[in-house]
Amino acid sequence: MTGAFLTASFFAVLPSPRQVSPINLSRLALTTLQTLDAQSDLSTVAFDTTNDTAWNQLQIALSACLPPNVVFNLTAYDISTQNGQLYSATGGRSISNAASLGLGSDVASYIVASSNVTFTVTPQKIRATLYILNCSDSNGWWITGYTVQSIAQEIAQMFGPYFEPSSIIMVQNTTQLGKLLNGQPLQNETSVQNAIVINTCGEAVPIPQSYANLYSSDYARYSYQLGNLTNLYNWTWVSIVGYPLYYVTSTLALSGTQNSWGVYGMARIGPAGLTAFLQGLDKQSYSNNGAGITLDVGVVTLTPATLDNCSYYGIFPSPTQTATRALPTSIKTQYNLTTATMVFNAKNNAIAGAVFNHVFRGGTRTTGSLFALGITRVPDIRLVGLGILSNYNPVLYKSLYTTAGTSKLVVLQLGLAGGK
Amino acid sequence: MTGATIDHLVASTVFLAALLLFIGFFNQMNQTAIVYQNHKHISTKCSDILDSILLNPGSPSDWGFSGSSTRKLTFFGLQDPDFQEYRLSPFSLTRLLSPGAQQYNNVSWDLNGGYLLLQASECIDYHNVTSLLGINGIYDFQLAIAPTLTVNISEVSDAHLNLRIQVYGTGFPLSNAYLNYLMFWANTSTSGSFPILNCNFTSDALQTDSSGIASIEFPYLSSGTAFTFIVKAYTTGISGTGYLAKETVTNSGNLIPYIQSYDVGKANVILAQNPQTGMGNLYFNASFYALPDNFVPVPAGNFAGNVNSGTPSQNLQITTNNQTGFLVVAYGDGNHYGMMITALGVDSIGVPVTFGANPSGKDWVATDLRQVLIGDIAYQAKLSLWSLQGYGVTG
Repeated sequence: MTGAFLTASFFAVLPSPRQVSPINLSRLALTTLQTLDAQSDLSTVAFDTTNDTAWNQLQIALSACLPPNVVFNLTAYDISTQNGQLYSATGGRSISNAASLGLGSDVASYIVASSNVTFTVTPQKIRATLYILNCSDSNGWWITGYTVQSIAQEIAQMFGPYFEPSSIIMVQNTTQLGKLLNGQPLQNETSVQNAIVINTCGEAVPIPQSYANLYSSDYARYSYQLGNLTNLYNWTWVSIVGYPLYYVTSTLALSGTQNSWGVYGMARIGPAGLTAFLQGLDKQSYSNNGAGITLDVGVVTLTPATLDNCSYYGIFPSPTQTATRALPTSIKTQYNLTTATMVFNAKNNAIAGAVFNHVFRGGTRTTGSLFALGITRVPDIRLVGLGILSNYNPVLYKSLYTTAGTSKLVVLQLGLAGGK
Repeated sequence: MTGATIDHLVASTVFLAALLLFIGFFNQMNQTAIVYQNHKHISTKCSDILDSILLNPGSPSDWGFSGSSTRKLTFFGLQDPDFQEYRLSPFSLTRLLSPGAQQYNNVSWDLNGGYLLLQASECIDYHNVTSLLGINGIYDFQLAIAPTLTVNISEVSDAHLNLRIQVYGTGFPLSNAYLNYLMFWANTSTSGSFPILNCNFTSDALQTDSSGIASIEFPYLSSGTAFTFIVKAYTTGISGTGYLAKETVTNSGNLIPYIQSYDVGKANVILAQNPQTGMGNLYFNASFYALPDNFVPVPAGNFAGNVNSGTPSQNLQITTNNQTGFLVVAYGDGNHYGMMITALGVDSIGVPVTFGANPSGKDWVATDLRQVLIGDIAYQAKLSLWSLQGYGVTG
């Protein structure tokens, strides 16, 4: 017993108190850089590396706006146009208020542009409404490490340049989702037709109270209804990770139900959810089919077109991903689907990520789409961005005058002074 | 035989004691790990909620400008409706009603002669905010949004009006900072009892020394003059503002400004007499100035009147066009004069805002910090969050 206790004690290393509730130094550093550059002052100083007075004032400003127990190092790097090292401190400058940054530190980087240059990128706007399911009364599954709200914010930020501001709508709770499912606009959008609906809850899907009551005996019927509505409104339904529609979630309607893994506010549908959705999308009659259809195909690679779009839109996820929930190619014939955009190359007769358009046999009109990313957790929303942008292909209008020496990379590293 | 039995009993007792002891050790280790896990979860939630508040303007997004929109709020956020990252709406912050406030919010009450009192029905209360954030009954929080730079102004004893300005950050004086100021003062009227409102504005006239201190003397004003002084401090990349109004209680009392409503570019302000035993006539002259980021005030309305026991308040209709600014008021009873100021938008005179429950005495309070901008004034937003549900971890 003593041996067991000693062994357990040896491996059960608890974090230091500072790591338990750390101040988010990365965010603090980023917001500090943004504040300093609000009137372009940081940009001016970063390019004026020989001006001691300006750098002293910058150090005073940094010291004044950071808490006394935070130590910093700010470095402006040149961005080299030569081959080899991209960022160089040779032509830059650094300031710090401590010899070392303590036990732990975090950084934020910020690109500043010279006042002599104008560089603009104006994206073409996608003419669709983007609904992001940011329901405060729902839980997520397979979004480990994130919260529904943090993913929703990242998505809104990523798509911000590509949509009119009024076209990005956060669906804040399941009551609003219920309105949306009933075809009622949530803000001033003219209609809910042709929209993109991104489910940020991972393998779970939020369910409004009225639907939870209606389908309490068989939640797969809710997925069937979602498929029907996706067809009716010509939505593009986006599943960001794992097996789509595997659970339903509502912290209010399902407060006493757990998903078989101990997370309350969530009920398991199982594989029948996705099958029911596809049945609804194709207007087939409903039948609860609990047989799993996805395949574990291992490592998959981005398609050449997607790789090109990585460079075009400046979004760079890893080109290889692990897919454990890839959809079989057989669903295309079974549910009248065509692949509008392939994000990953097909492997073993399965597709790990693609936008599937539904087109009735003999027809030409798209009536609803499903964009499913069958990769394993944790979700990478850059893949969502690439998939949507590759599907809609908004043009980037760039204007660039003089490129050499036009930008610098400013890195602010923050650490906490003192012991543990 | 007896000896073997005793040995067996002793060995069993020792074994059981050791077993219980180590079960206790393991339990203690597990309990510590669970507490750590819970604390880490609260810390992550704190960071998430802070970003959620700072990175969305709420819905409807114009709720800071409009009392009717505030009453229809379906999601809570404080971001400026222009959707710029970590830039907050100066008006949404004035509509936060902390627990304990009753008829008017208590964003600022008689701090250096400054007020910011908005009627409670125009505000959103803490309980509603926690519901809109989806944390009601799960977490409590306190959000403190304070200027990054503290600008303290004090009077120096002298024959003439002499002011000392001290500027410092969260832990460091702001040396060599440039100061711009706006000076308003009240003169005795030669005709009637209305005070005359004067003003003087300068640009880049002052700079702080290595201790972050500067002084300014007004040789043309005596030390007893009623005045309102607003100063903006600026150095590389960071700005702050502060004010001092010489609020005097005359024999007829003084004036307190209550913002009755604020909607679509129009504000309704009540100037109410804070009576003394005399309750005689108290005369006032007031001006509203819009204050853009360049710190050049734009006059946008003048008002004059008097209050007394029969008419204890006067109603001012101000057209603000949704711009931040301030109402500066000079008042007097014919013998004594005073001044006070009320802000429309927190950044115009650097008002801090504290909203939410009181964290003192709570078991475990996680905090997180962001730098934000309101107008071009640097603020820090600090969220303190604690759980109301013990050590249960979900989600």
